[in-house]
Amino acid sequence: MNNEIWVFVQLNGQNVEPTSLQLITKARDIAGDRPVVALVAETESMNVEATVKEYGPDKMVILKDDQFHNASDGEIADALDQVVTDLKPNSLLFPATVLGRSVAPRLQAKLKTGLTADCLDIYFDGDDLVQVKPTYGDDIMCEIICPDVRPQMATIRPNTFKAVKAATDTETVNYSFTFHPEANIEVVSETPVINSAANISDAKTVIALGRGANNEKVIAKAEKLAGKLGGMVGVSRPLTDNEGFSHENQIGQSGNTIAPDLLINFGISGAVQYAVGIENAKQIVSINTDAKAPIFDKSDYAFVGDADEFMSALLDQVR
Amino acid sequence: MKIVVCIKQVPNTDTVKIDPKTNNLVRSNVEGIINSFDRNAIEAALELRQQAGGTITLLSMGPDSYITSLRDGLAMGADSAILLSSRKFGGADTLATAYVLSEAIKKIGDVDLILFGRQSVDADTGQVGPIVAEDLQLPQVTFAESLELQDNNQLTGHRLLDNVVQEVKVKLPAVITVRSEMNSPRYETPLNIQKSFEKEITIWSENELAVDPTQIGQAGSPTVVKRIFSPEKAGRQTQMLPNNAKDAVAQLLADLNN
Amino acid sequence: MTNDKTAEQNMLHRMIVDFTTNELAPLDMKIDQLGDYPDGLFQKVIDNGLLGMTLPRQYGGAGFDYVATAQAINAMAFGNASMAVTLEGHFKTLEQLLKYGQPELLEKYLPTATKRIFAFSQTESSGGSNPKGISTRAVKQGDNWVITGDKIMITNGGLAQVYCVLAKTEDDQMAVFLVDQDMPGFSFGKREDFIGLRGTPVGEIVMDHIKVPGYHLLGSIGQGLEIGNNAHDDARVLMGAVLAGIMQHELKIAVDYAKQRKALDTPLYELQTIQEKITDIAIAKQNTELLYQHGAELKVAGEPYSKVAAMAKSYGSRSAVSSGDKALQVLAGYGYSREYPIEHLIRDARAMEIAEGTVEKMNTEISLKEVNK
Ligand SMILES: Cc1cc2nc3c(=O)[nH]c(=O)nc-3n(C[C@H](O)[C@H](O)[C@H](O)COP(=O)(O)OP(=O)(O)OC[C@H]3O[C@@H](n4cnc5c(N)ncnc54)[C@H](O)[C@@H]3O)c2cc1C
Ligand SMILES: Cc1cc2nc3c(=O)[nH]c(=O)nc-3n(C[C@H](O)[C@H](O)[C@H](O)COP(=O)(O)OP(=O)(O)OC[C@H]3O[C@@H](n4cnc5c(N)ncnc54)[C@H](O)[C@@H]3O)c2cc1C
Ligand SMILES: Cc1cc2nc3c(=O)[nH]c(=O)nc-3n(C[C@H](O)[C@H](O)[C@H](O)COP(=O)(O)OP(=O)(O)OC[C@H]3O[C@@H](n4cnc5c(N)ncnc54)[C@H](O)[C@@H]3O)c2cc1C
Repeated sequence: MNNEIWVFVQLNGQNVEPTSLQLITKARDIAGDRPVVALVAETESMNVEATVKEYGPDKMVILKDDQFHNASDGEIADALDQVVTDLKPNSLLFPATVLGRSVAPRLQAKLKTGLTADCLDIYFDGDDLVQVKPTYGDDIMCEIICPDVRPQMATIRPNTFKAVKAATDTETVNYSFTFHPEANIEVVSETPVINSAANISDAKTVIALGRGANNEKVIAKAEKLAGKLGGMVGVSRPLTDNEGFSHENQIGQSGNTIAPDLLINFGISGAVQYAVGIENAKQIVSINTDAKAPIFDKSDYAFVGDADEFMSALLDQVR
Repeated sequence: MKIVVCIKQVPNTDTVKIDPKTNNLVRSNVEGIINSFDRNAIEAALELRQQAGGTITLLSMGPDSYITSLRDGLAMGADSAILLSSRKFGGADTLATAYVLSEAIKKIGDVDLILFGRQSVDADTGQVGPIVAEDLQLPQVTFAESLELQDNNQLTGHRLLDNVVQEVKVKLPAVITVRSEMNSPRYETPLNIQKSFEKEITIWSENELAVDPTQIGQAGSPTVVKRIFSPEKAGRQTQMLPNNAKDAVAQLLADLNN
Repeated sequence: MTNDKTAEQNMLHRMIVDFTTNELAPLDMKIDQLGDYPDGLFQKVIDNGLLGMTLPRQYGGAGFDYVATAQAINAMAFGNASMAVTLEGHFKTLEQLLKYGQPELLEKYLPTATKRIFAFSQTESSGGSNPKGISTRAVKQGDNWVITGDKIMITNGGLAQVYCVLAKTEDDQMAVFLVDQDMPGFSFGKREDFIGLRGTPVGEIVMDHIKVPGYHLLGSIGQGLEIGNNAHDDARVLMGAVLAGIMQHELKIAVDYAKQRKALDTPLYELQTIQEKITDIAIAKQNTELLYQHGAELKVAGEPYSKVAAMAKSYGSRSAVSSGDKALQVLAGYGYSREYPIEHLIRDARAMEIAEGTVEKMNTEISLKEVNK
């Protein structure tokens, strides 16, 4: 066994799934003198090494095989098992994406080691990787260790850490292994998900408009922005009197309770009746001309200024 | 089709508290219910049984109080239920839990399909299904949002990954973990509730299973819970964006994308 | 661990909580605004076997006792009082059939009671609180009875398909008969436009020489008032459960709001005047719970429960109205708005100061029971 921290690099089509890069940065932060190794499994024609390298792993271990295209969880776990059993890392981190949470436990079962799910933090206490994970929603945290068996495995929640580029001399190892196809399962196709929320309560992104953003120009821009972000437009109560909006779009006490990943409030003051409807939003950005507007107390990001201006800038800069 | 649905009992509450003295979760007085995703798994099994015939066996590892949720699953319409209960099974992490479940599934024998919830709502790992699949050397379709019977020995499932839907064909026997998007679980009717109390629940301990004592319970669990704590509820930290809209948006997007 | 009554009751309770949370509570405001159940909702109640909750197993029901049933009704009323009252009306009617019905009648009708609503009708324009004033007539014709009359304000009138009706014989004796909407001479009259419980249909039936076989008589001739009173008792226990559910809803709204809303920097719940209101509602809710549960327990144990049943409804209905008023005051302007449910809870609770015996009538009964002890 060595003292390396490995990070499984997940791919989305031709790109690197961002969590993997976040994990490389986090691993570097907690590593001390432990080498950080990126573990890449890709097809022959792919080349994500350049991207991964920018985040400064000490080493990249690369598994190449065309059958990684549409590989099953079992096939990926089998390939990883070969290299992990052989090179014996100390710790092995996966993004807690659906793929990570499906492959990691299969690998865990082969290695007969521990695996902690969906961690929000990790740190070393001696040689023990202390894995901090939420339970019962996020109200309670627990710290889990795997004292006697290696590797220490964890899946880590996406967007918990920030990926930061770093310059390092990265050693590249092309690892040879055998791809064992699984006979009884076939991945037929992959289709990108189109936003499918039918109503605002289920939307992942919500652009909310209040009385300070109540004009046709801004509303039209908001619809456009929602389209770009795959989200929906919601309103505070006063705007339900407008032609295009109804109670269905209303957020708040007597409207809908929403729980999007991202909520952007334009020209909303933040009355209690509105605020109770947005408590479960993950990230809240608010735009208001009044620096004292109560909505800012409930926001992660605040922009004091004009709704239209900010909306236009967003439309320009969002790809 | 012979279907096994693995179910876990979880506390029926959103707010679980920590005992400040012992640092353990306070679970007493909280009624146990079926893990919500497992209800979706049971519903999926009931629908498959309707199409293909066969039997549904519920399987759960836990203390005797887990009878409550097994009965509940019987009231939804499952045919039989097995509780894996023994002091020796206690303190199991996902590896040891899945090992005992796998051994029980072997003992049940000739199982075509094993259904799980996508994850439990308390410990929340989602690991037990895939570990069982590996232990039994079966293909898995995790996080499935739909499931269709092709013929009696093949299923097509759609997995909802983070931003793609994956279509997967799998031959039986197989392991599936079920998302809540797949269906709306039926209610137990008052009559079916009464009938569920007339069904027997089988209880197996380590004596009925061919288990290796070093792989069960605490002994078979590599992970150790070191500490449980309630994090301080940090209110939202409001970050002011620059006054200029262009710069503000640039900074916001950079922050959100990282 | 096997046939443990409380375990079955708990599972029923949980099922009703799930059903109410998913199917009824989200429609609570809509049901009030619509003045009816939205399409398909009542069918869900039937499809999930709720009409058969109390019906004995031999007739295809689940055979839950009144303690379990009252608890289930209470859970439902927390989400929507109208549907809870619809079930109450059905269950109390089935109780009378089981107690007074002849075997032939039970065999014929009870197996349909898992799919059809049964209702109990006494009230007429000429007799509400004073049923002796009714004018519906039952005339004996060989082995049959011929019934003619007009009944109003029947809970589930129009929705129900089978009616137990109070009638007078030619020699002015009171008796109860079962009529079926499919019988010649049966028709529906007007649905009431009541101010509360707006989901629950309350309506009129018209009986024009309906001929029923002799075994459609419940109990015996002259037993009509007793059966009517017994129906009241059974209804009152369940209405106590409905009222406690309404108060739980009022309490939740007041408490949630008192936690959110600030008077300048002080949360409302720290103000003594607000605390008083919350306390009053909480005590009234708890008392009503104890009363209806005790009534149900006495009934199951075969003890007299008439007085406690009347107390549950008399105290419960008045408290639910005044608690609603207090909760409204906690929310003040918002509580007075139709965008919050409190005003409709008050209207809902108000019905139960009237239906199944007015508060005045019940209080007379209760006091006489105390005086004649
Ligand atoms: C019974 C009841 C129930 C209610 N339920 C709800 C509910 O469910 N949902 C709900 O939303 N409300 C509800 N309300 C209404 C609520 O109390 C508030 O009145 C409402 O939320 C205010 O909406 P607003 O923030 O859009 O408007 P305002 O409070 O008028 O705020 C407008 C904001 O826009 C800002 N602004 C102005 N110009 C600009 C500009 N050019 N760029 C950026 N910002 C600008 C202003 O500074 C101000 O903060 C309810 C009220 C009652 C009585
Ligand atoms: C606070 C806390 C945190 C924990 N964290 C971890 C951890 O990070 N890693 C770890 O290995 N263990 C962990 N455990 C232990 C873990 O909870 C148990 O092993 C548990 O029995 C199964 O894990 P799970 O609840 O995460 O199930 P999941 O894997 O999330 O459950 C998925 C599905 O598996 C089935 N299933 C799960 N448990 C059972 C059962 N007992 N009987 C039948 N079917 C079942 C159900 O279908 C369920 O929907 C933790 C325990 C606690 C109390
Ligand atoms: C929602 C609802 C559902 C109903 N469902 C049914 C049903 O399913 N079946 C059914 O048969 N009826 C039903 N009713 C009718 C109900 O039973 C009567 O309204 C009730 O009995 C009162 O009769 P009344 O309206 O004719 O008033 P009245 O009897 O005319 O009473 C008028 C007032 O005088 C008082 N009063 C009258 N007589 C006395 C007395 N003897 N002692 C003391 N005070 C007296 C009353 O308390 C009341 O304040 C329902 C009513 C409502 C509101």
